Amino acid sequence: MKVDVALFASLSEYHSVDGDTRTRTYDLAEGTTIADLISVLGLPDQPRIVFVDSRHAEESAPLHEGQRLAIFPPVAGG
Amino acid sequence: MTDTLDSGECLISDAELRERLRSSSVAILGCGGLGSNIAAMLLRSGVRTLTLVDCDVVEPGNLNRQLFFCDQIGRDKVDALAETLVRIDSGARLTLVNDRITAETLGAMVRGCDAIVEAVDGAETKALIMEVCCRELPDVPLVCASGLAGYDSANTIETVSLARNVWVAGDFESDVRGGLPLLASRVMVAAAHEAHAVIRVLLGLDPLGLDTPGPGPTGQDTY
Repeated sequence: MKVDVALFASLSEYHSVDGDTRTRTYDLAEGTTIADLISVLGLPDQPRIVFVDSRHAEESAPLHEGQRLAIFPPVAGG
Repeated sequence: MTDTLDSGECLISDAELRERLRSSSVAILGCGGLGSNIAAMLLRSGVRTLTLVDCDVVEPGNLNRQLFFCDQIGRDKVDALAETLVRIDSGARLTLVNDRITAETLGAMVRGCDAIVEAVDGAETKALIMEVCCRELPDVPLVCASGLAGYDSANTIETVSLARNVWVAGDFESDVRGGLPLLASRVMVAAAHEAHAVIRVLLGLDPLGLDTPGPGPTGQDTY
């Protein structure tokens, strides 16, 4: 299944396939969860928020064909 | 006392639009460099009902970018900010919450508000606010900030749509934990982005200036 993955800010360097800097398309095995993908990409353990198709999602959720995953890591300062 | 911003002096001359802002309520989570300035900007723009949330006191190191004054050092931030805001608009309706933001307390802090502003400094708390608000209040617009420290150009700060009803202002990279300073000029650029996004949402306009009316999916740049 193909899933579009947007990695914001410093996370964009963890993309493992070619494409533009923020959003790339991954071909994943059926049943892959968000947590599985985060592990495969090797994202650092830092605060982050995850959205699937513009809605908040838990990292335990499985991904499905055609979905758009976005992972955003807020940084400190205010 | 004269109701200072209720005499037709508001910048928005269209009565219907002015009433939309006047009848709206906004929760501001954090009253530091972002939140204190956002509160003043919203109030000056006609949003007169604000919930101010912060559990800190005013410290000398806050005065370089936060809307506080020397004679307010040591006071609770929400009380000191409220004092300043009613000097701007004596008709302001302010709810003050002097409490720490947690997953357990957040829902009650923002209940009933038309929009929520994330204006805290810690990355963990920012993520917590996004997560709890998106999960428990998915229909309430949320405007956040991320990446406003340092000397980089003010032009690198922008507002993007992160998801349905969620917008983030900042450069998304400049982390105060990397040793970068928080300069008043750059903090206020981010604060102005947040305040203006809220105003546009309340007016039924897309914060990014796209054509889709009202809060909701914006298509371009929405994930």
